[in-house]
Amino acid sequence: MVSVRNVGKRFGGRWILRGLEFDLAAGQSLVVLGKNGSGKSTLLKLLASLLPPSEGEVRYAFPSLRTDIGYASVDLALYPQLTAREHLSFCGRVRGCSDRADELLDFVGLAHAKTTAASQLSSGMKARLKLAIALQPKPKLLLLDEPGATLDAEGRELIGRVTESQLQAGCLVIATNEPQERSHATHELQLVI
Amino acid sequence: MSSNWSSEIRAILWKEFAGELRSRTGIVTGGLFSFATIVTVATALYNKDANQSELRDVCASQIWTIILFAAILTLPRTFLAEEDQGTSDLLRLTARPHAIFWGKAIFNLIQIAVLCAIVAVLYVGLTGLRVPHVLLFAGTLLAGGAAITGVVTSCGAIASRAANRTLLAGAISLPLVIGPCQWGVTGLRSAMGGGFPQDGWMAVVGLSAYALLTLIVAPWIYATIWKG
Repeated sequence: MVSVRNVGKRFGGRWILRGLEFDLAAGQSLVVLGKNGSGKSTLLKLLASLLPPSEGEVRYAFPSLRTDIGYASVDLALYPQLTAREHLSFCGRVRGCSDRADELLDFVGLAHAKTTAASQLSSGMKARLKLAIALQPKPKLLLLDEPGATLDAEGRELIGRVTESQLQAGCLVIATNEPQERSHATHELQLVI
Repeated sequence: MSSNWSSEIRAILWKEFAGELRSRTGIVTGGLFSFATIVTVATALYNKDANQSELRDVCASQIWTIILFAAILTLPRTFLAEEDQGTSDLLRLTARPHAIFWGKAIFNLIQIAVLCAIVAVLYVGLTGLRVPHVLLFAGTLLAGGAAITGVVTSCGAIASRAANRTLLAGAISLPLVIGPCQWGVTGLRSAMGGGFPQDGWMAVVGLSAYALLTLIVAPWIYATIWKG
């Protein structure tokens, strides 16, 4: 589903990542490990096409990145004035897919906060909403950057359920150092500074 | 799974309206600036006849100066705010650049039309200017507003990923709006009886062409920057 060929990323004169090569097929999950600053988030942004690689290329076996990639990260910001439901409605309309707002908000445990503006959500609730946005198009590739970082125990269980179901639908990449999240990996990639 | 441009553009437009109506940043910034400037001008012209030929020319250029600065304060924000608040990645993940550009450009065109209408009514009302050619006056404001929107929106979009984006957007907009402002002054002067209406209509045609050109070219430049 995803093929990474000799990928490198440089910021200014400093190489963050270099010479990365791997393939990820349906039903496989990759856990990216590494210290802070080792390039875990950068790798996920490259896979999400949010950053262009400085060298090499990322190939996808699906046509539309907007509807086949789901990405959730602590870095990803939400529109402060829009409610949780409006975020899903907006993303569904621009992606051209069903918004599944009620279904997804129930699934991530935000049924009680459908009409709450993003600026009023706690960091854990924002993480759940980002997860809902990532899952909305039923992506073939799901990218989760430190998914449990701001979540409580229930939220971490939710991540476990998401990773299990994603492996039936496609493949998964998680950047994490959490032992619980590592348990879902079929493959591991250790990045070093 | 089907997607079409008009639905995407309407979604972006809806998001802009929802954000603006709830935060009122643009309305307050542009509106207060325009109101304060017009009241200052009206006070300075108190007991003077604004319809004298010299004053009329100054009034025509003042109207455009007010609209231009209000536009520069408010319109580029549609693009710059996405980077400032960090939501550009969410857009990049879900929407196509042409749809984003057009959604935001249409929102800006609506904003400038409202701004031009308010500025014109207040200015004419408070200074007592006579406008014998109302249609030409309205046409000049609409076409000039569209030309300024085309330039300012495009510059906001082009500068959106730069580190000093706000400064850069203003700096690259200013030289590009001098031409449209000159045509705008010609159009308004003619509409207020200070020149031939034909000259005014020629200015409207020039402004419309300028608006069209910027709004056709800019989405392609924006899409290229987006990919980078």
